[in-house]
Amino acid sequence: MTALVRSELRKVFTTRLWWIMLLAALAWVGLSLGLIIVSAGMEGGFAADSAEYAGAVWPMGASGTLFALVVGIVVVTSEYQHRTVNTTFLVSPRRLPVVLAKAVAAALVGLLFGAVVVGLSAVVAGASILAGGGELNLVDNQVPRVLLGSVAAHVAYTVIGVGVGALIRHQVAALVVGILWVFMLEPILVVVPQLQDVGRWLPGGAVSALYDTGVDYGMGAMELLPVWGASMVLAGYAAVAIALAAATTLRRDVA
Amino acid sequence: MSAIEVRNISKAFRGHRAVDGVSFTVEPGTVTGFLGPNGAGKTTTLRCLLGLVRPDRGEGLFGGRPYASLPAPASEVGAVLEANNLHPGRSGRNHLRTLCDAEGLPLSRADEVLDEVGIAEAGGKRVAGYSMGMRQRLSLAGALLGDPRVLILDEPANGLDPRGIDWLRRFLDYQAHERGVAVLVSSHVLAEVEQTVDNVVIIARGRLVHQGTLSELTGGGESLHEAFLRLTDQENSEQPVGGSR
Repeated sequence: MTALVRSELRKVFTTRLWWIMLLAALAWVGLSLGLIIVSAGMEGGFAADSAEYAGAVWPMGASGTLFALVVGIVVVTSEYQHRTVNTTFLVSPRRLPVVLAKAVAAALVGLLFGAVVVGLSAVVAGASILAGGGELNLVDNQVPRVLLGSVAAHVAYTVIGVGVGALIRHQVAALVVGILWVFMLEPILVVVPQLQDVGRWLPGGAVSALYDTGVDYGMGAMELLPVWGASMVLAGYAAVAIALAAATTLRRDVA
Repeated sequence: MSAIEVRNISKAFRGHRAVDGVSFTVEPGTVTGFLGPNGAGKTTTLRCLLGLVRPDRGEGLFGGRPYASLPAPASEVGAVLEANNLHPGRSGRNHLRTLCDAEGLPLSRADEVLDEVGIAEAGGKRVAGYSMGMRQRLSLAGALLGDPRVLILDEPANGLDPRGIDWLRRFLDYQAHERGVAVLVSSHVLAEVEQTVDNVVIIARGRLVHQGTLSELTGGGESLHEAFLRLTDQENSEQPVGGSR
């Protein structure tokens, strides 16, 4: 099993996708942070030393999860796209260990993504607060919870990506579904108050609960799951994704 | 016990019988040509044998055991199904190293087999820059990593230039006749195999039409080409489609 995980990790790190996605995640998070930093003190923006400002910048690292999802999807779909799945299953004809190794490798890559993206985002967020004359009030703002939750969200999203990829298998279709889900469907379900009863139970809603700082962006405070409940829900989605990947992969003909 | 035993394998795709009750054996130290027209069911038979496709009936055995029950399959059986089962963005050496990891072999095996198939200098290049012949050789290198006693190659001469085909013949000859490996090599191009194979298995429309030694088949003055046409063209029934994938 360790051997298979090592093989899967080598597959990820010997093509370009991982660092392109990491740079994309950093650019995306940097852009989001930059908008808040630039608008600080302007009309409609938060004052840089206010609690609202701190509540808006600390969770920004969590928006790298989309790119973690993409990496998770491609870990599986690239095997079908390039037909390397033939070789993979010739070397390991027992397919369940292969699926589990992919999930473990994806989780480790997600951990790396989360640590780098959330870490750098936190450095920028903290520096901008200090530069604006604010204080790093780590415990009251629940910053450790927000940051650790954001890293965990990256891990969960890469594993969920493995499930999505195994279910859909076609690379472009899987990516389109994943991106539409994260950018279109979930935001609507999580943000629109009438739909939040559904939205807070979705992966995106659960992640929101992990990084929520109670900032009101004008939509009213969101009613989210408690942090422990959100963690369970997210872990549940990851488990379902692995089960789905196993169920769709074990018996199917590879032709 | 035979190195490879295909036992009564049948497989239908969406109602179409791609393979219909095919049985044959391959012995150590021999090269067996697995011949048939395009779409005859060669690739499907090999995929069933190797556990990638689940046969409707029958089974494939290696020394009496199904592929998926072999404790270390890659060190017993080396198989190449398509030369294009490669990620274009990964270097040849890294491709082999991912296999070394999974097979529990030292990473140095990657360079050894690259050398063995004669593309050592291309190991660091991304596969996107490989010719078809280099991809064939890289795929073959992957099959050799575990130093297997059985080799199964599906259309290995595709994309090889005349020099490459000559190299492949000598390689197969060495593996079977010097090292005692059981070699099963499928082909639809008879000239490729005529000088190399000891035995032939011929299938047409999913059914076995002949198994025997090459000399038996061509002993009566008939060429392999003529015998092949006679054996594979007995019925004028519709040619099956979609069976080769």
